[in-house]
Amino acid sequence: MTPPAVRLVGATKTFGTHTAVSGFDLEIPQGSIYGLLGPNGSGKTTTIRMIMGILLPDVGTVELFGGVPDFARRSRVGYLPEERGVYEKMKVVDQLVFLGEIRGMERQTVRGRAMEWLERLELGDWALKKVRDLSKGMQQKVQFIGTVLHEPELLILDEPFSGLDPINQDVLESIVREQQDKGTTILFSTHLMEQAERLCERVCLISKARKVLDGDLKEIKRRERSSVVAVEFDGPPPRIAWPGVAAVQEVGDALHLLLRPGASHGEVLAAAVADGAALRRFERLEPRLHEIFLRHAGENGGNGPTEHGEQR
Amino acid sequence: MNQVWVVVRREYVERVRTKGFIIATLAVPLMMMGLMAFSIFMGVQSNQSEREMALVDYTGVLGDSVAAGLEGVGYTMEIAAPSEAGVTELDQRLEDDEIAAYMILDDVTVSQGAFVYRSKDGPGRLFRALSERIVAEAALSARLAGVEDPAGLRQLLGGGELEFEALREEDEASGIDEGVSIITGFAGAMLLYMSMLIYGSYVFRSVMDEKTNRVVEVVISSIRPWQLMLGKILGVGAMGLTQLGIWVAFVAALALAGLPLVASRFSMENIDQLLSVLPGVGILGLFLLYFLLGYFLYSALFAAVGAMCSREEEAQQAQVPLFLLLGVPLMLQLSTINSRAFDWLNWVGLFPFFSPILIFPRAAAGTVPGWMTALSLVLMAAAIVCTAWVAGRIYRTGILMQGKRPTFRELVRWVRAA
Repeated sequence: MTPPAVRLVGATKTFGTHTAVSGFDLEIPQGSIYGLLGPNGSGKTTTIRMIMGILLPDVGTVELFGGVPDFARRSRVGYLPEERGVYEKMKVVDQLVFLGEIRGMERQTVRGRAMEWLERLELGDWALKKVRDLSKGMQQKVQFIGTVLHEPELLILDEPFSGLDPINQDVLESIVREQQDKGTTILFSTHLMEQAERLCERVCLISKARKVLDGDLKEIKRRERSSVVAVEFDGPPPRIAWPGVAAVQEVGDALHLLLRPGASHGEVLAAAVADGAALRRFERLEPRLHEIFLRHAGENGGNGPTEHGEQR
Repeated sequence: MNQVWVVVRREYVERVRTKGFIIATLAVPLMMMGLMAFSIFMGVQSNQSEREMALVDYTGVLGDSVAAGLEGVGYTMEIAAPSEAGVTELDQRLEDDEIAAYMILDDVTVSQGAFVYRSKDGPGRLFRALSERIVAEAALSARLAGVEDPAGLRQLLGGGELEFEALREEDEASGIDEGVSIITGFAGAMLLYMSMLIYGSYVFRSVMDEKTNRVVEVVISSIRPWQLMLGKILGVGAMGLTQLGIWVAFVAALALAGLPLVASRFSMENIDQLLSVLPGVGILGLFLLYFLLGYFLYSALFAAVGAMCSREEEAQQAQVPLFLLLGVPLMLQLSTINSRAFDWLNWVGLFPFFSPILIFPRAAAGTVPGWMTALSLVLMAAAIVCTAWVAGRIYRTGILMQGKRPTFRELVRWVRAA
C-alpha cells in the first residue's frame, strides 16, 4: 500500500508565546484533492510550511511521501507559497525556464512547455515581458505555471485563488481538476468555503491553530445534514429564541437556523409551533461548508496574528 | 553541480543584461577615452597652427640650443636675423599668418631666463611649459660654460640626493625607488576595496531579495541551499570579472593606441616613465588572486548577512560590520602609505579579511617579503573554507526565517545545528 502523500501526527508549532498550530493530525491520501480551510491566522500557512520542511514542528512529526520532508521528497512537490514570490526583473519565460532547469529539466523542453502553459493561461503575448510589468493576477498565474511545470506528484497551493478575478479562478480551478485527473495529489488552502466546496473531495477545517473537522466532504455533509433548517413565515418573522437553535442567518426571504449539536429538527419544529409562528416553510437543508465551519469553530475564529514566520 | 550552473547562469545573464551594468562597464571607460581623445585632438589641433615659429637671438649663444630643443618636441623653428629690420619683417609675417609666433632672446634671457613671446594670441599652456624649461636649460648651460665642474653644479641645482645604505645586505633591495609601484599598488588596493564592497553588496542584495519575496522557498525545494549560495557567489563574481576585464582591456587599448600619439609629441624618456606606471603582468596576476580570494571571502559573509535580514530597513545596519571589516584596512593603508615605519602592518595584513587591501599594495611596492605574500594567500584560502562553512549554515537557516534579525546566540545555534 502506498503511503499517504502527507501525514502529520500531533504537529505543534509555537512562535514565542503564540501557538500557530497545535496537536495537528492530518493524512492526505495519494491522488486526493484536499482543502485546508480556515480563517486568516488559523495556522494554514504554518501547516503548509511544516509540510514543506521550511519550518520544523516543535512537537510531533511531519511526513512527506512516507518519510521526513527531505530534499529528495520536496523536489517531488510543486509548491505555491502564499506570497507572490517572483523574480521581478526577469522575463516571464526566462523565469519559468529557470524554475524548470533547477528541477533538472532540459532547457528546450521547459521552454516549450512553458510557452504552452503561457498560451493556455492567455499570457502568450507576455512571455518576453519582464515579470514586474505584469499585473498581480498575471504574476500569480506565472507563479502557478512555475509550480506545475515539472509535473510534480503533489501540488501544495497556499491560497492559490486569492486575488484572481472569477474568470481566472475558473481557469485555475479547471487546471487543478485536470491535474488531479492525471493522478496528482493536491493540497490547497483557502478561506473561500465555496471554492473548497466545489473542488475538494476531502477537507480539513482549522480554527485557532486546531483542527476542528477533517474528512470526506460528502461524508461530512451527510453527517451535518440536519443541522441547518430554512424557515419562512407568513408575515414578519418572529423573534427566534427557540431551544436548539444556535445561530440565525438571514438569507433572502428565509431565515437559516443553525442547530446546536445534538438538537434535532423535530424539536425545533415543535418549539416553533408552540411559539405560534406562522410557518410557511420549514426545510432541512444540505449544509454549506461555511455553516458547518461556523458551527464548529464559532464566529470568532478569524484574525489572529499572521502565521508567516517566527515572531519573538 | 548542474543546478549550481543554472543559478550561476541566471545571476550572470540577468545582471549583465541590465542597463546599469552596460552603462557602468562601457560608458565610463568610453567617456574616459573620449575625454582623452578630445584633449589630445585639441592639443594637436591648436599646436598645428602654432608649430611654425621664428626666433630672434640677440645673445648669439642661446639660439641654436633653444631652436633644437623646441624642434625636439615638434615645433618648426627658424632663426631670424637679430636686427630692427628682421623684427619688423617678422611682425609682418605674423600679420600674414605665415608664422604663429616668434621669440626674442636677449641678455635678460641669459641672466634670468626671461624672453619675449610675440604673437596674435597668447601661448598655449603646453608651449609655455616646454619653452620655459628649454630656455632656462639653455641659459643655464650658457652661464655654466665658464665655471669649474659645471656638471656638479648642475646636479646641485637639481637638488640633493639621498643614498640608502642598509645595515644588512639582504635589506638592500627595500631601498629602491618605489614611487611608481606605490601608485600602482595603492590604485589596486582601492580597486580591490571597491570591487569587494560593490560585488559583495550585489550578493547581499540578491540573497535578501530572494528571501523577502519568498522565491527562495520555491527554489529551495529543488536545489540545496549551499548550491544556491555558491551559484549566486559565482554568478556575481563572473559578472565582476567581466566588468574588471573589460576595464583592463580598455586601459590596455588606451595605452596601446595613446602611446604612439603621445610619443610623437614627447621624447622617449617620458614614454618610459609612462610605461612604468602601467602595472606589469605579475602585478596583474597578483591582483587577480587577491581579488578572487578576497571576493569569495567577503561575498560568503555578505550572503550570510543577507540571509539574516527580512526587511529593507535592516539591510544597511546589518552590513555595517562588513563595511568596517573592509574599511579598517583601507584606513590603515591610507595613513601609512609610503611610510616604512609601519612594517609591522604586514603582520596585521596576515589577517585574511585585511590581506587584499594591506598586503597587495605592499607586495606591488616590494615592501613585503615574498613568503609573507604567499602566507597571506594560503591563510585567505583557508579562511574561505571556514567562512563558507559557517556562512553556508547561517544561510541555510536564515533564508527561511522571517521576522526579527537573529541574536548572536541564535546564530551560533544555526551554525551548530546538524
